Amino acid sequence: MTTGLTRQFPGGVGLDSLSIDVAPGEVLALLGPNGAGKTTTVRLLNGVLAPDAGSATVLGLDPVTAGDELRARTGVLTEHAGLDDRLTARENLRFAAMVRNLRGPAIESRIEELLHRFGMTERADRLVRGASTGQRKRLGLARALLHDPDVLFLDEPTSGLDPTATRDVVELIGSLASEHGRTIVLATHFLGEAGRLADRMAVLDRGSLIAFGRPDDLAAELWDGMECDLDLGGSPSAAAIDAANAVSGVRDTTPHARGITIRVSTPDVVAGVVRSLVAHQVDVHAAVPRPPTLEDVYFEIEARRALETPTTTPPPTGPPAPPPMRKRVRT
Amino acid sequence: MSRQRTDWVAVRGVVGKDLRAVRRSKSVVIPMLAVPVLLMIVLPAVIGLSARATEGVGVDRLLTSIPGDLAEPILSLPEREQLIVLVNGYLLAPLFLIVPLMVSAVLAADAFAGEKERKTLESLLHSPIRDRDLFVAKFLTAFLPAVAVSWLGFVAFAIVTNTIAWPVMHRMFVPTKLWMVMILWVAPAVATLGLSVMVRVSARTSTSQEANQLGGAVILPLIFLAVGQSTGLLLVDTPVAIAIGAVIWAVALVLLRGGVKRFTRDALVAQV
Repeated sequence: MTTGLTRQFPGGVGLDSLSIDVAPGEVLALLGPNGAGKTTTVRLLNGVLAPDAGSATVLGLDPVTAGDELRARTGVLTEHAGLDDRLTARENLRFAAMVRNLRGPAIESRIEELLHRFGMTERADRLVRGASTGQRKRLGLARALLHDPDVLFLDEPTSGLDPTATRDVVELIGSLASEHGRTIVLATHFLGEAGRLADRMAVLDRGSLIAFGRPDDLAAELWDGMECDLDLGGSPSAAAIDAANAVSGVRDTTPHARGITIRVSTPDVVAGVVRSLVAHQVDVHAAVPRPPTLEDVYFEIEARRALETPTTTPPPTGPPAPPPMRKRVRT
Repeated sequence: MSRQRTDWVAVRGVVGKDLRAVRRSKSVVIPMLAVPVLLMIVLPAVIGLSARATEGVGVDRLLTSIPGDLAEPILSLPEREQLIVLVNGYLLAPLFLIVPLMVSAVLAADAFAGEKERKTLESLLHSPIRDRDLFVAKFLTAFLPAVAVSWLGFVAFAIVTNTIAWPVMHRMFVPTKLWMVMILWVAPAVATLGLSVMVRVSARTSTSQEANQLGGAVILPLIFLAVGQSTGLLLVDTPVAIAIGAVIWAVALVLLRGGVKRFTRDALVAQV
């Protein structure tokens, strides 16, 4: 839990009055563009940086006064994995164990187990220098888990990975989240992975928290009602769009190549739309409710913020650029 | 708040990792060993062989230019022995202080700046090792090899010098008591003094190269001072040499203590 957590740097504000809370076993996604304050948040939460104002409690400990004790119970995968190229994979893990004062046969077998689990057994005794980014991330994750931490901080875990490696790492993180009720703080600007893993999201921008909560709750605040995709087997006719719009409770319709996306006030309105379309001789192949994804929520928040934030630069002389919103056609 | 005890397992972990990594880095090992080999083996060997090959090289003029009580021990020797004792016994000695300074400076420059360059610092700072223990570990990573190279180098120097000079000297003339004080007491103090500066410099710079350059500006005057003073050091009484070493130790430890107090992971990570 953090209250008014603030940290300034000579170059400006790193984090400004952050107040969030994460329940045990939850996955919290810290979202935002580069420079949003995600890494600063992780550093503050793990007691690596001290705040200028505000406070935090992680695992019941104050990161400022009990940082060493806290870090003994947390694991971190930093953006660059932070492995020493001049050591082998096994030596990197042994080093991490010693720094945590872990020695003996138990930790050796734990290292072996993690190398196996993360598919690094064959590379175990080769220098990290030649390892791919994906292998480094996997090894970094293995190191973060060496001491079976209660909280896992993952800072940009998939940056620099190809799609296959990204999928592998996201699956690994997903499995880690379900283990032992482990709490995960995932700092990323890749929304896909956050959407698959996060229970809650905190959207940061230039050090400020601009949204925090469950994606569903945030979506409910952003949009009235729910979206549903109607598959009509092709582009809808004007009559079909009119038929859908005529139904009470339809807020919004967006035609697309396979049909219409409708926004309705309550789920039962969808049935009325289907009946109306059928009555107008329009075939409805499928009706698929489309709850907003974390990505939808994030971009909507960003778009609304962009509209609210006054620009400090003079407006361009050409036509104004459209706001970065999802394209929506009102009919 | 009670002072926490040093976690020697963690310290050993960092020192062991760093030394293992250094051993595998030719770009660090070669320059680190080249100067000691040159100063402690090649140079005394060449001088010893030259002294053997020449008869009665006149060192009187040189000796008369230094104070009489300092030159007296050498002037009292047979003429054949004067050159080799003057050079290998006295003039080379100050250069020995360069060895601990140089080795420790090279390794200390890498201590934090190298971690930043390799992007390994942040993960280290996220570990539970305490700030003080990390500082101690980084200090030892540079101090231990510096002292080891100095001592091993001195043993090599003594063997080479005595072996080559044997046909002239017919006896072992190094080490003397003062040499021992210098190597065992003064050299580690000088290494500590240099390190107290270099570790701090390394923590404030982004690359090893930058640390070397900035550290060099601080260390070089120290080297000149050490070289300038230590010839005299070899000619003073043992208690005086011990006292001088003690002064260097005291200054080094005060600087080091200040470094430990001011060292925080917050300051380090803010630069990453």
